[in-house]
Parts: sequence; structure tokens; C-alpha cells
Amino acid sequence: MSQSKFTKGKAPVLSRRRVLHAGMGIAGATLIPGLGGIGAVHAQDKPAMGTWPAGSQGSSVAIAAMVPLTGTYAVQGADELKGWELAVEHINTNHPLMKTLAPKINNGVLGKKVVLKHADSAAKPNQALQAAQTFINQDKVILMTGSTSSAVAVAMNKFAQREKILYMPGISGSNDTTGKDCVRYSFRQGFYGEMAANAIGPVMVKQFGKNRKAAFMTPDYTYGHTTTKSVMDYLTKEGGWTVVTNQVSPLGTQDFSQYLTNIANSGAEFLINVNWGRDAVLSSQQAKQFGLLPKMTLVLPYQIPFMAKEAGPEITAGVLAATDFWWTLEDKYPLAKQFVEAFQKKYGYRPEWGAENAYVSFAHWARMVTEAGSFYPPDVIKQWEKGETIPSLLGDVHYRPQDHQAVRPVILVRGKAKKDMKNPEDFWEVIDIVPGDKVIQPPGEFGCKLGDYT
Amino acid sequence: MFSWGNFISQCFNGLVLGALLALISSGLTIIYGTLGVLNLAHGAMFMLGGYAGWVAYTQTGSFIVAIMAGALFVMLVGVVTERLIIRHFYARPAEDQLLVTFGLGIVFVETVRFFFGSLSKTVPPPALLSGITPLGFMVYPTYRLALLGIVTVALLVLYFILYRTRIGMIVRAGIEDAVMVDSLGINIQKVFMLVFGIGAMAAGFAGIVNAPVVAIAPDVGDAILVQTFVVVVIGGVGSFGGAVLGGLIAGQIISLTSMIDPAYSYVMLFVAMTLVLVLRPYGLLGTAGRE
Amino acid sequence: MPTRQRPYIVEILTALALIAAPFVLPHLGFAPTTINRILIWGLVGIGFDLLFGFTGLLSFGQAAFFGTGGMFAAYLLTQTPFSNTIAAAFVGMIVAGIIGYLIGLLALRRTGIYFAMITVAIAEVFFFVEFNPLSAYTGGENGLPGVPPPNLNLGFTTLTFDSNWEMYGFFAFWYFVGLVIALRIVRSPVGLLLRAIRDNPLRAQALGHNIHSYKLTVFIVAAMYSGFAGSLLAMLQGFMPPDAFMFATSGEIVMQTAIGGAGWLFGPLLGATVWLFLADFFQTTLNLGATWKLVLGIVFVLLVVFLRHGLVGAIVDVYHLVRPRKSATAPTVDAGPRPSLAAARTSPPASELRRKRTTGSTGPILEVTGLTKRYGGLVANSDIDFRVDHGEIRGIIGPNGAGKSTFFKMLTCEVIPTAGKIVFDGRDITTLGVADACQLGLTKSYQINQLFDRLTVRQNLAIAALGEIRGKFKLDLLKGVSKVAGLDAQIESTAALVHLGERLETPVSDLAYGEKRRLEIGLALATSPSLLLLDEPLAGMSPQERVETVALLKSIAHGRTMIVIDHDIDSLFELVERITVLQEGRVLVEGTPEEIRTNAEVQEAYLGGIHDEAGAA
Repeated sequence: MSQSKFTKGKAPVLSRRRVLHAGMGIAGATLIPGLGGIGAVHAQDKPAMGTWPAGSQGSSVAIAAMVPLTGTYAVQGADELKGWELAVEHINTNHPLMKTLAPKINNGVLGKKVVLKHADSAAKPNQALQAAQTFINQDKVILMTGSTSSAVAVAMNKFAQREKILYMPGISGSNDTTGKDCVRYSFRQGFYGEMAANAIGPVMVKQFGKNRKAAFMTPDYTYGHTTTKSVMDYLTKEGGWTVVTNQVSPLGTQDFSQYLTNIANSGAEFLINVNWGRDAVLSSQQAKQFGLLPKMTLVLPYQIPFMAKEAGPEITAGVLAATDFWWTLEDKYPLAKQFVEAFQKKYGYRPEWGAENAYVSFAHWARMVTEAGSFYPPDVIKQWEKGETIPSLLGDVHYRPQDHQAVRPVILVRGKAKKDMKNPEDFWEVIDIVPGDKVIQPPGEFGCKLGDYT
Repeated sequence: MFSWGNFISQCFNGLVLGALLALISSGLTIIYGTLGVLNLAHGAMFMLGGYAGWVAYTQTGSFIVAIMAGALFVMLVGVVTERLIIRHFYARPAEDQLLVTFGLGIVFVETVRFFFGSLSKTVPPPALLSGITPLGFMVYPTYRLALLGIVTVALLVLYFILYRTRIGMIVRAGIEDAVMVDSLGINIQKVFMLVFGIGAMAAGFAGIVNAPVVAIAPDVGDAILVQTFVVVVIGGVGSFGGAVLGGLIAGQIISLTSMIDPAYSYVMLFVAMTLVLVLRPYGLLGTAGRE
Repeated sequence: MPTRQRPYIVEILTALALIAAPFVLPHLGFAPTTINRILIWGLVGIGFDLLFGFTGLLSFGQAAFFGTGGMFAAYLLTQTPFSNTIAAAFVGMIVAGIIGYLIGLLALRRTGIYFAMITVAIAEVFFFVEFNPLSAYTGGENGLPGVPPPNLNLGFTTLTFDSNWEMYGFFAFWYFVGLVIALRIVRSPVGLLLRAIRDNPLRAQALGHNIHSYKLTVFIVAAMYSGFAGSLLAMLQGFMPPDAFMFATSGEIVMQTAIGGAGWLFGPLLGATVWLFLADFFQTTLNLGATWKLVLGIVFVLLVVFLRHGLVGAIVDVYHLVRPRKSATAPTVDAGPRPSLAAARTSPPASELRRKRTTGSTGPILEVTGLTKRYGGLVANSDIDFRVDHGEIRGIIGPNGAGKSTFFKMLTCEVIPTAGKIVFDGRDITTLGVADACQLGLTKSYQINQLFDRLTVRQNLAIAALGEIRGKFKLDLLKGVSKVAGLDAQIESTAALVHLGERLETPVSDLAYGEKRRLEIGLALATSPSLLLLDEPLAGMSPQERVETVALLKSIAHGRTMIVIDHDIDSLFELVERITVLQEGRVLVEGTPEEIRTNAEVQEAYLGGIHDEAGAA
């Protein structure tokens, strides 16, 4: 690409950088989007791939979110979607928060407005893939997102690699997403099973002591299996705990009484519930009905947005959980405060970590694209793989080039009793902010092989 | 791993689940036996009962009102559905009936999702029935014990209606021979409407009384529907006794297999159904008459 | 439906449509992957339509085969060094076929709604097994990602179909192959028998066909279509989803077929087109979010309520509205005066019609001893001894409830006796099935017409004749029905005999009652029986029709053994040589018409009552 020439109308993408570098005013910058449709220049060494360059030749670029709006993870999906919507709005309007996270945005990225397309995935890989294919065909999307089930994330990973289109999972707790099923084209912002286990494990051993007996409840797919394994490994190796039973249930189970009866008769002192979404709500509620709670102590290694709201503080009070974000962190982090305020203003409630992860993921993508100055996927990936330290809502973070995982803090929270809640959304108390590099496994430990750029 | 405490607890689980399945299945089987229509929207009716009850509960705070609302609303839905749609399908092939009820099931589920979202809703058990009851050898949720009683009473009422009243007599005669009942000058149209209503009500009632146990969501009826089929196939299509027996058997199979490995509980349920089909093709209490 | 005049019109039109689709559909807003997906659903639908539209078996369990075939192929392609996608798809298809055979053995024990419920339940087992015990192979909830796009190994080079339109070519080719095969099946004798099973399974069986084996065959074929399509899905997406096993998948197949129209083979393709287009449109264009399913559900219910035969059916109905169907108008225009006795005399002699060989030609052809049938406490027949000789025409009379029909049902092996023995042509057939009895040369015409109402007279007679020509079961799936040796001759001579020679192409539903009665007898005749049972052949006929039918029966009787039940004593006395009188399930008396007429016992016990009844009828 010819970087030196400022040819009006011929290479708007590049001219934009120069405009910004030159420090020209907004008036000048706003002229540019109108010139966007004329066509990008791409040199011989950058052959067409995936939706490039077709996807970035119009006046806007499209992002596709495949998000569960029905089924077990519907509640969390709806929250994530709001996070993405807000991020796109902020990218297109130069919101100060977004401007901090991705300074080179200018009412869009590289002179193009960002358009968000979304479809219901029902947290099913198949439905997500179908929707993604449709968006690729119709809208030439240049970024895909959405999972809320690691089964979707893993499938989308492989799909993204095949189609050569960038992908950022939404919520995905499986170690495999940036482990054995990692791909070159996918980057994960959020925390996951292994990080959660290494963050919550020491606190559990310290607070509850060594040689305790725990029962696990695990959803039967990659997130459940890897997260349970990570937590189990930590507790048995570092704390000498015994796992008396691990009840594996299918995603979308309604009645947990059989599983709970087995746990009731297992002699466990702790109930470590890895279930997620509605499964977590139902299983915890039913555990209470069966008298397992509060007899046993409930632990949620991978916190579930809105669980406290759905199940009520009578269940979550005193419960230890690891999470990506909790809104009271606004007291400590100014960016978090900006985000919570903007979100609450638009949607009328305080965001949970699904929305936070969604927002930050897009901010990071916008940053990488604008820094790279190109939509060409390998350029963007290489920018990301520089591993630069970049801001997030919770301080500085960086992405590891080896597995494309963000090294970011894990938040430990404890459920508040109803009487201690200062407002109707004050469900959790932040007890620790564990730095990411303390809890992340060495790169390559989970067998990540990223694959090709082209 | 094996312990008697767990065994007995699981038997109890099985009994509660079985009674519930028996009630839902008997609704399905009465409709089928009398009208010859297999209602694929039966699972959705179960779900509707839960939601109607939940709405009533949030308005009044009374569990009794919730139960009545759940049962009566679904009965009304059943009657209206029969009048508006199902009625026109009696003369059409069985396949058309399956298709239209399948479609209705989707419409019910998605309508509820449209109005109430996907968020699960909970109806708490009445204060009197919440908490845990120690039974000596184990503790058990009080409401689940009560549920066993509630469902048993409901089944007895249904039995009474079917076997001790005039309408029941007509219904059972209708199961034997609809043409004959017609020729006796009984207004079979009204009877059919009532039967559809009663069958739907059984599902709706089960839906609301189960709501304190399993939180309700739009798709809560889907899994129930398939289990109900298995129960009906095991017990014998069109047989009230078969539905009850099949329900109880299914409940025990699911629970007792769970003790060893919950992953296999449904597989075992279907294995049992296969066995029944091979050994007694018309179900345990079914007869060859209806197909 | 394929017509006789233009045999390959459907194939040609389909090929043209498949070629035109990539140039037309994108302008209507279809994405290429959506079109590819439509082809895959359409392919599943072809098999499903053979099962549902042609054979009348509504399965809600196709997901089991779709998933199994796809999973097997995906496993081969992702977890083993195997890389030939076409071979993998065929392996997936064969595995699905084997699974289909096993499930079919179980599910086909029952029919109708029971069959539907069993297929649902069995498909659920597959779902659970795939999800849990086999998750090491199938990936459980994760599915199997990383399936390569389709390729074709030509020896010297390997073609890979990785872009959307390359894949379209690949899928369209297989869809076309699938359609051509299905059309051949439909046009084969087996295809005709499948429709016979759909319209009237009991009669199909009574005409000597092993309907269970045919049902199992089509069940396996449908499973293979599903399995192959499942493999293609894995290649299209590069991912084999566990969702393929879910009830929703089976439901979608059923709904798409119902929307498109069953019984046309390409109905499911049309249904899938509408379905996927609307799903895309509601979601991505109208942004309905989760509401899309509600709208589609309502659309579906309305379609089922108002469009009984789906979109294809609606198009055909409109076409017929514009251009009235020829065959429907034919009877009033060309049939002319009703066939009369004169016509009967000009018809070919019945001896031209074939008749199964029997071991002997004199002495008893049928010998019954101590035949008893009890239903619970009710005794229908009790200790009947009965004997008919070669060439004899026997009448059976008796008041209502005398057990005549039960007796016939036992003779034709429709009902197994509680006690006693039936020997036909020297062979004990007491516990034989009805199809076997027919194959031996013993068949019955029914008291109430048992015809294949949606088929033509020719097809009806063909179904009957095929039993004799092809035997109980034959897998000539790809052979044209018109190429079956001797079939047309048998149909035409039978039709001529029962005076339906002019009406061969008329659908049965358009026949007059008397014509249907004659066809009923014609069906039995076309099986070339050596012993023909006629259950009230004159029932419901006008006096004029009775005279004609008696003449017809007389002409048939030539060189044939017959047993006739009827209430019309006068006609019967004219027709038969000997009469057996049944009363309360027992043989009251037996003798020549003259003996019976003058028998005091018969007069007292029977004749007094029957005249009143005849008057009432």
C-alpha cells in the first residue's frame, strides 16, 4: 500500500491516518466517510481473503453477533448484546470512554461507521454457525462475536479460521477456547476456568482450610469439563481436598433432584457449582429445596450474570465466586465508572460482566484495527500479537501472542445478605482483584497451536 | 458409592417425578383415547399452566389462586383451541392433526416468550409447605412431599370424573366407539370439547404445581412432552391406568439409574420402552383396538 | 406426478431449475449458504417424502439418521487420516441405513400415531447416547469442528469445493442424483406398493404383498437419504453440530415437508426454501430477534389449517381450477351408457385370465375341520367342518351375526382361529399370514370396498396383479412398473372382465358405486386366485346392477372355485351349486339350493328374518 501519498478519494483509509496525524479538526475528518465507498487499494501481496476487501469497501463495516436470545443462556446473552450495542454506538460517536480505550477511532474506524448485526444462537453451535454464514454472505462482516457457550466459541473459532474472518468470543469459560482449540483468527478478552480456579482456589483453601470434601456440579460440555478440572486440580493438589462426587448434567437440565440427591448422600461439605445460566439458577434453587444449602457451602467458580437477581440473595449470600467484572469496581476504576454510568443511562440497570466483556472486546478490536490502519485481517492480527499493554475498564491488560488470550485481572466476590444490600443491584462485595499474570497458566500448557495467517 | 439412604431418597424422587408424569400423561391419553388426536402441544399446555399460575401468584400472592388460575386458564385454552382449530381436524388424517398440534405448541411457547421473555420465573411454595421435612432416614423438601399428595389427589379426582360420572361414562364409551356414542344421541361435539379441556387442564395443573420445584421457562414443556410419550407407550395408549402405571415406572427408572450415572437415566427409560414394545406391543395396559 | 407421455419431464425441469438457481435466487435475497442449506434439507426431504408422502409413515425421528450419518462422516474426516469426503458421505449413508434397519424393526411394529411417538422416543435415545456415552467420539455438546469442505479425488488431482458456489455445484449434483433415484423408486413396482400401503395397508397385504418388508425398505431408504445429507451438512459448515440429533431437527423436516407439500418429492425443497428464507428474512432483515419463531409458528399453523397439501398442492389445485383435470370430467363425457349385459357378452372369456396352478384338479381344494373362533367370552365360530371341491361354486348364507365374515377372515388367514385346521390345496394354512394365503391362490373380495382411493383403476389392478407376478417381496426399486412382464396384459384382461376397460386411467375416487364394486372384485381376480371368496358382492347394489353382477360372476366362475356370501338369496340360488347355512357360528345345514329352499329348519331359523332385512336395505 502506498503510505506516502495523500490522494483524495483514492485511498481514504490511509488518508484518514494522515488527517488525524496532522491534527486536523473534526470538520476535516467528517468529510472522509463520504469518500469511503470509492474503494480500497490493496497491493499484490494482500490477496482477497474471507470478506476482505469486500467487507470494508462500503461506507460502513459490519460486525455479526451470534447471541443466545432463547434457551438456557438467554438472559446472559441479552446483556452481552447490550454491551456490544453500546460499544458500537460509542465507536461511532467518539464517546470519551471509547476514545480512551481506542484513541484512534473517529466517529467510526478507519473512516467507516460500524454496524452491528445480530441473530439468536440459542447457545447452539449449529444455529450460531448458520447465522454467521448468512451474515458473511449478506453483510460481508469483518468481525464475528458471540458465544456464551464455549461449545459455540470452539465451533466459531474453527469456522473463523476456515473463513479467515476475525472472531472474538463473548463469554466463554472453557480453557480450550484459547487452549487446544485456539486459532489464529480468534482473541479472547474474558477470563476462563483455569484463571478462575487459580484465583478462587487460594482463597478457598485459606478461608475453609485444607482436606475438605467437595461435590461438583458440572455442565456436560467443554466449559464445564475444563473448568471443573482446573478447580479440582487446584483444590486436590494445593489444598488436599477430596472430590466426593462430580454430577455431570446436560446443558438445559430442568430438574436436578436426582443429581442433588446423590450429592446429599455423598458427605460433601462444599457444593462447587460450575453450572451456568439458567442451569445454575435452577440447580442452586433446588439445592436449597433439598436442604443442601445452607448445610453445604456454595461456591461459584465462574460467576453467572443475573444469577443473584434470579435466585435471590437468600441463595447467593456468603457465596464465593470468581468473575470478570462487578459494577462496584467503579469506585476504584474511573473507566469502569464511566461504563457503568453510560450503560445504566441507556438501559436502566447496571451492567454485569457479560456486557463488560462485550464492550471491552469491541473496544480492543477497534483499537487494533485503527492502530494497524488496515482491515486486512493479518495486519490486524499482527498488531494484536505485538502484545502491547492497553487499557481496559480494570486497568492495563495485554494479549499473549502465543494463544491470543488477554492477561487481565480476575475479580473475587462474595454474595451480600439482603440486609447489607445498599440498592436492589448490590448483590456482591468485591473481596479481591487478582492480577491476571498471577493466575494464568504458561502459554502452550493447554496445547494451543494457532494456525496460519492466510 | 451405594448407600441405602441414597437409594430410598432416589426412590422418593422417582415417586414424585412419576406421579407428575402420570398426571400429565393421563391428560394426553384421555384426549387421544376419546378424540383420536395426539396433542403435540401438550408440553406447551404444561408450560402455560405454570405461567398462568405465576401471573396469578404475582397478582394475588396466593398459591391456591395460582393453582386454580393455572388449571382453569389452560382448560380454557384447551376448549378454545378445540373449538377453533382441532375440531376441523377430526375428519382429516392423523398426520395433519400431528402437524397442527405441533405448530400450536410452537406458537404457545413463542407467545409466552414474547410476553414474558426467556428469564425463568419462580413460584415459591406456600410458607406452610416450604422448608425441609426430616423423615428419619433422610431429609426431604416439604413441598415435594406435598406435591406427591397434591398430584395423587388430582389423579383420584380425574379417576372419579372418568369412572364415576356420566360425562366419564360417555368419555370411556367414546374411547370404545365414537360412532356408537354419537348414535346414542349424545352431543359428542360438546363432549369432545370438554374432554380436550380436561386433558389440557391436567397438563396445566401439573405445570403450576410443579413450578415451585422447577422454575418455569418457555421451553419447560419440551422435555416433558417426549417423556410423556414414553410413559404413554409403556402404559398403553388411551389407557388411564396405563398412564399412571407408566408414569410411576418411568419415574423410578430415571431416578434409580441416576444413582449410578445420571447420564444414562434417559437412555434407560427408552430401553425400557423398547422392551415393552417388543414384549407387549400395545403397552402394559393397552389393547389392540386403537392405533 | 410423472406422466406416461413425458417420462423425464420432472428430471429435466429439476435440472434446469438447479442450473438457474444460482443466477436467480441471489436476486431474491437468498444468500449462497442459504441455498446450499436448502439443498441439504431438500435431500433429507426426498427420503422423508418417500416415507411420509408416499407410504404414509409420519416419522418424527429423522434427526437420528441425519445426525448419525453426519457424525460418522465428520468423525472419519476429522479424527482419522481419512480424507475422501465423498467416500465419507457414503459411509455415513450406509451407517444411517443400518441404524434405520434396526430402528425400523422396532418402530414398524406399530403404525399411525404410535409409530410417530416411537420414532420421537428412539430419536431421543440417539440424542442422549450421542451426548453422553459417546461424547468421546462425537464431541458431545461441542460437536465436531474442523470438517473439510467437499473434495473429489480424480486420481491425478483432487478438486476441492471450498467457495459457496463450488459447494453449490457439489450439493446440487447430489440433490439431482437423489431426486433421480427417488423418481425411479416412485415409478417402480415398489413405489406403487408404497402408495398402496399408504392408502390401504390391509388390502395391500391381502393382495399378497409383504407390506412390513416394504415399509422397512422405505424406512431404510429414508434413513440413507438423511444420513447422506447429514454428511453434506458437516462439509457445508465445516462443523458437525450435535443439534442435528435434536427433536427440533426432526420437527423442521416434518414442517418443511408439510409446508412444501408431501407426495411430490420436491415439496420439501420448496418447503425448505420458504422456511429458511423466512427465518433469514425475519431475523436479519426485519430484526425480529427471538420473535421470528413465533411468526414462523403462526405461519405454519395457518398453512396446515388452510393449505392441506402444502404449497405444491396449492399450485396443483390452482392449475386444476384453471384447467380442469381431464380424467375428472371423463366419466360424464366419454363413458357413455353404463356397461350392459351386451357388453358383458363381448368381453373376453374369463378363462383367458390367469389362474394359479393347484396341485390337484379334482377332489377337495379347501378342507376345514373343527374351526372355532372366540373373542374373549364371545364365540364367533364354533366347530365348523367345511369342504369345497375343485371347480365348485359354494354359497354361504346366514342371518346377521351368524359368523359368516369371521369365517371368511379365518379362511383368508386375516384372523387366526382359536382352534381347528384349514387345509388349502393339500397344505395346512391355519396359521399362515394373509399375504401368504393370497400368494397360494386364495383371496377375497370385501364386503365393504377396500380400494386404493387415491390411485387410478389401472394402478389398483396393477397392485393386485403385481402380487402374483412378483411374489410377496421383491426389491426391484429401480425398475419401471410398466416394464414388468405380463403386467399390462393382466390388468387389461381383468379390467375387461369387470367392464372397467374404458376407465383404466380414472382415479378410484371418481368411480360410481357400482364401478367400485366391480373393481373390488377385479382386485381379487387380478391376483389370479384358484379359490376366490366373495363377501357380499351384491351389497348395496340396485336390482339392475345385481343382475349384471351375477352375470359377471357367472362368467368369472368358469373353471374357478368360488365361495360366495350374500344376503340376496335369489341371486345366490341362481349362481351357486351348493349352499352352506350358518347360524350362531355353527353349520346349520348344507345342500343344493333346492334342498335349502325347502328345508324347514332354514325357513324357520333364517329365511323368515332375512326378508324383512332385505326390505329395509
